[in-house]
Amino acid sequence: MDNLQIDGTRQTPEISFNAESGILKLDGRSIPENTFEFFTPVLNWLDEYVSSAPDKVVAKINLEYFNTSSSKYILEILKRLKVILGEGKDVLVEWYYEEDDEEMMETGEDYEDVSGLPFEIISFEEE
Amino acid sequence: MNTYEKFRRMMDNHIMLSFKGEITSDIITMVLQIMETKLDSVSEKGSVKKKIFNVLVECMQNLYHHSEAEEAGDISTRRAMLELFYDNDYYYILTGNYIKNEGIDPLKERIERVNSLSKEDLRRYYREILDNNLISDKGGADLGMIDMARKSGQKLYFKFHDVNDSLSFFELQVKIAKKKEK
Repeated sequence: MDNLQIDGTRQTPEISFNAESGILKLDGRSIPENTFEFFTPVLNWLDEYVSSAPDKVVAKINLEYFNTSSSKYILEILKRLKVILGEGKDVLVEWYYEEDDEEMMETGEDYEDVSGLPFEIISFEEE
Repeated sequence: MNTYEKFRRMMDNHIMLSFKGEITSDIITMVLQIMETKLDSVSEKGSVKKKIFNVLVECMQNLYHHSEAEEAGDISTRRAMLELFYDNDYYYILTGNYIKNEGIDPLKERIERVNSLSKEDLRRYYREILDNNLISDKGGADLGMIDMARKSGQKLYFKFHDVNDSLSFFELQVKIAKKKEK
């Protein structure tokens, strides 16, 4: 299966999904007005990935900002990972937040709770 | 008022940005770009800047998706306003847009519900809505309002101004404390 690579912009995150290694990176910000347009290919890729995922899949989510209309798509991404987990694969979500960004930390906890996936919530220092 | 008086008024009220017009995708991009540059130059902590930016993003999405046209059927009259200013203690994000009169009661109920909840209850409510997948592509449900209330840590101030038989003007003001409140 092909990798999924989408460059980041000022409104949309960089997507870097490596099919073979199982490392799925989401980086930057997600604040577009039309979230449907942006996330549809991402969700389609994951739908296909369910049947070809390796034994271990790690999603590295490092978002600086995202709007509420992106938030349901982030959950949709996690739901597909849940299906992969259900197939007996090892799935981990690494949720990154900048040290003093309490909201982003709490949002990670919210997603952990709602998705029921194993999460590691990781802080990093501001540049 | 002469031009210098106008300038002084803007200075004295610490107006960082003032906009009136149709909120298009391009305008949102530009406003966010301007505000990022402006916020970079203020001496607030990173977390305060992030909160301001977050609330601003959400406010502009609201204006983009929910402004009614001033003249029915003419989308070029979906005029709205946005203003950012500060005083000693808070940053303020003020928006105004037209709304159909029949939309007032449901919106009022939603904001009042959000305002009535404690921090922990807001969080529970957020999870509930996220989990139930009640969010449309417009953001919708109550998530935008909950998010602004959570990020700002303050009650949302709102007011409906009478316009005519079919429209009102919806004012929303979100404030963000400069210092963390205990």
